[in-house]
Amino acid sequence: MKTVRLFQMELRRLLQSRLAWIVILLTALSPLAGLSLYKPASASTMLSLYLANPALAGGVVGGILFGVLAVFELDRTNRSRVDVLTDAAVSPLCMALIRLMALTASALLTLCVTALVWLPVSIHLIGSVFDGGDYVPAYLLFMGMGLLLGILAASSAYQFTRRADLSLVLFAAFAGLSLTVWADNWQLCWLNPCVWALSDDFSNLRIFRSVAYMRLTWLAALAGIWTLSYLCIRQYGKGILGSLACSARRVYRPAVAVLLLACSGTAYAAQPMVDHSNPDETVMSFYEIPYLEDVVCSGRTVQVHPDTSAGTVSGRAVYRFRNTSGQEQTVSLAVNPGYTVSSVRANGEDVPFSVGEYQEYNEAVLETAIPAEEMVELAVEYGGFPRENGNISVMQGGAEISAEYLCLENAELAPRLMNVLPDEAMYPTEVEITLPSHMIAIPFRDSDAEIISEQDGEATWRYTYNGTSGILYAGDYIRQDIEAGGITIQFYYGRKHQAVMEAAGAADAVRTVVDYCTEHYGPLSFSSGGTLKLIQSRVSGGGYATSGASLLDEADFTAANLGDPGKGAVPGEVMIHELVHQWWGLGNMFDTAGRSDPWSAEGLTVYTTYRIVKDLYGEEYAQENYVEKWRQAVEDYYLNFYVRNPEYLERLPEEKQLEITNNLTYVRQYCEMPLKILKAEELVGGAEAMDQILHSLFNRELDPAYPYLSYQDFLDACGLTEEELDLA
Amino acid sequence: MLKIFGYECRRLLWNKFFLGFSVILLFYGWQVLGNETILGVSHTAPFSPWSFGGYLSRMLPLLWIGALFFLTFFTSPAARRAAVLTDAAPMAPRRYALARCAAALTGTGLLMLICLIEAAVFYGRYFGWYGWGDLVLPALLTLVPSLVFALGSGWLFGRIRPWLIYVWMLFPFACAAFPLPKAMGLWNGSFFTGYPLTLGTLDPSFTVPVSVLLIQCLLLAGGAALLVLRLRKR
Repeated sequence: MKTVRLFQMELRRLLQSRLAWIVILLTALSPLAGLSLYKPASASTMLSLYLANPALAGGVVGGILFGVLAVFELDRTNRSRVDVLTDAAVSPLCMALIRLMALTASALLTLCVTALVWLPVSIHLIGSVFDGGDYVPAYLLFMGMGLLLGILAASSAYQFTRRADLSLVLFAAFAGLSLTVWADNWQLCWLNPCVWALSDDFSNLRIFRSVAYMRLTWLAALAGIWTLSYLCIRQYGKGILGSLACSARRVYRPAVAVLLLACSGTAYAAQPMVDHSNPDETVMSFYEIPYLEDVVCSGRTVQVHPDTSAGTVSGRAVYRFRNTSGQEQTVSLAVNPGYTVSSVRANGEDVPFSVGEYQEYNEAVLETAIPAEEMVELAVEYGGFPRENGNISVMQGGAEISAEYLCLENAELAPRLMNVLPDEAMYPTEVEITLPSHMIAIPFRDSDAEIISEQDGEATWRYTYNGTSGILYAGDYIRQDIEAGGITIQFYYGRKHQAVMEAAGAADAVRTVVDYCTEHYGPLSFSSGGTLKLIQSRVSGGGYATSGASLLDEADFTAANLGDPGKGAVPGEVMIHELVHQWWGLGNMFDTAGRSDPWSAEGLTVYTTYRIVKDLYGEEYAQENYVEKWRQAVEDYYLNFYVRNPEYLERLPEEKQLEITNNLTYVRQYCEMPLKILKAEELVGGAEAMDQILHSLFNRELDPAYPYLSYQDFLDACGLTEEELDLA
Repeated sequence: MLKIFGYECRRLLWNKFFLGFSVILLFYGWQVLGNETILGVSHTAPFSPWSFGGYLSRMLPLLWIGALFFLTFFTSPAARRAAVLTDAAPMAPRRYALARCAAALTGTGLLMLICLIEAAVFYGRYFGWYGWGDLVLPALLTLVPSLVFALGSGWLFGRIRPWLIYVWMLFPFACAAFPLPKAMGLWNGSFFTGYPLTLGTLDPSFTVPVSVLLIQCLLLAGGAALLVLRLRKR
């Protein structure tokens, strides 16, 4: 009772303090900074611009202000030299707890005030895509937790040092590290979580989970540190060690501190959000696993059950093999590193299996033995929380699984067969997935899914295709059919996005791109039944394409882009890029063996995107946003100190070497090669001549032994040599 | 006077604050060196004067805070109460203030030295590079005027209201958050990342435009003048 009364008194006293009200007022105003000065979320979706950024700014500014307030409040009795009196009246340990509670209560009050004040502003700015389901967790996680962590960190610093000056410096350095050096490490940036985008049209559960996980890890760590510092609160005129010895007599106190720190350490080390993929993205060792001789795969069936409330997946994949070797063989399958394989059975018998520690491109290898029988049916049961690629951990949110949206890519959908060749029927695959009945399943390829059963608000969808892996999208989608380039484009986009898509003239933009490519390079010949799917994904910062399907990023068409006069009414450059991949990369294939090779499908795709953008938005826009940017990036590449002095690169830690080389590979493929193609365009006599060359390359007769379009083919078609295209 | 200087130095440097601050400075510095400076700035080597200047700009806010905290030893209410006794001592107040000023400068100089030694160790360990002579000019130009100005202005604010020193500690953070004129680019590091690119040569030697030099000279002169003013008024 006494503690409750003291808490009420302390809170009342705190709320009478002028400094506290200044802090509360400044914190309530701080989301303003997210609209102007501090914009960590770089995507152009409305929720990124007008919800994520203000809430993150509120968290940073509020966290710092409440940290400073905590130091001043804790130092108050010492500063006024009444600590001897107050310590005699109330135990300093009890008082520390009460002060923490009062500060936390004032932070909570500030959070509520801020969220309420900014609610109408956010509704006005965000417009029709505003969703209270995003607003509340955004303010709670991005801002509220920041205030609490700031209080805990600063209070701990004070209780350890018992000096306001040193505590403030410690706190400043701790906050400074989070804002600068640790800003790109999603687990370390305690004050400013790595949130690069929030989706307008689909759910944001995955990114909220990631931020919540980071915040809770830090909450446990700082609560543990605070408990330790609590034990160090000076008592009975003793120093830090004497006070620690006194306070630790009650064993549960240090035990709580150790438990919290152990929980935090475990949570940090065993985080479930991202994997440990090899940071060297030029290594593709999984593609070097030799194929088994005398074993072929004649088909597979997959049954997948996503749990949309927990964000997990469980599934069963059955593979049918013909083993003519007469021996036991080891089959390799790629699984998502977040999944646990619960059982592997061959012809109904349990067989041993192991999942390797090594991870690459968001996959780990499951190895299992199949018996020496001719016909083998291998059943793999798997499930868990899919992990995202650790190399792009600052851009989390892609593996969203919710009742609004779902994306399962390759090994997330089902284990991918790695070392068994198909029989003459290739890899016939049948997938069944059970989803909430309001979701539409859209395979990211040329096949269609159909409902085979409906029960208890859930529908089971089935589709078939040929292949070892696959991607599936599901959500509340609308389909619009567009006729262009002699094919039908099935354009899928989120229902919430309908107004923006119509206002942006998205269908016209798609038609323009397909017509442009068909006219300049030739019609697509591979699409099944003359159809091509174009699927809008949740904001992902890029896209991909496969035979019969291309992706459109949500950020291609946003209400914010509509108001950008520089882009006209049809932005959608990711959409253009991924549609162009139907010509370059799929219609014409490129050898992907050399991952770091500058010649890839990206060179011609980026060049073609530039040409289309030039047609759509004019020469000036294309020159400024494409050519000048390539030039700048290539110039930076050639001038880079480590490119000029590779001997110094070798001296760096491996992690740093990879960070630098990965960036450089990107520049070579996405900037240097398009610039070389542009130079080739000038040398062959202009854009029309280049179009004719590309038309002839696209429609050339393929060599079945090596169907890829090589750099030499391109140079020969242009009548140029490699040296002539040198940019240096 | 030397005795008082020694006593003030001990008061400033032989305590938990200096020790704790040094540890924080070293940890922060190593994080900056290992994560940012290692990449180099403006196509130059991580050990170029430009990259080194970028590192110093990152350290400047902490050094600024450290320098101002030294002043709180002299301007705090406790120190003011003790001034009744020190003023009664048989020593000219001006000489007493001079000793304190020298002690604050010494403390700030030591903090600077910690940053410089850390960078030297980093460059030696990672790159086997020991050409420290090239780094003297950027170090002097970046740190000395700013920190002398911190001490001079901080002393002034401390005399007006002791709590103003704490507000003044936020100044470099404000410089980092808001866009500054080019001439003040040393304060947020934009000079080291931007200026070498305008020189049109690869790995340019360290040069400073007149405007930047002027600002730094003004800061140095302003800081020194405020310190002298404070000595006179004492």
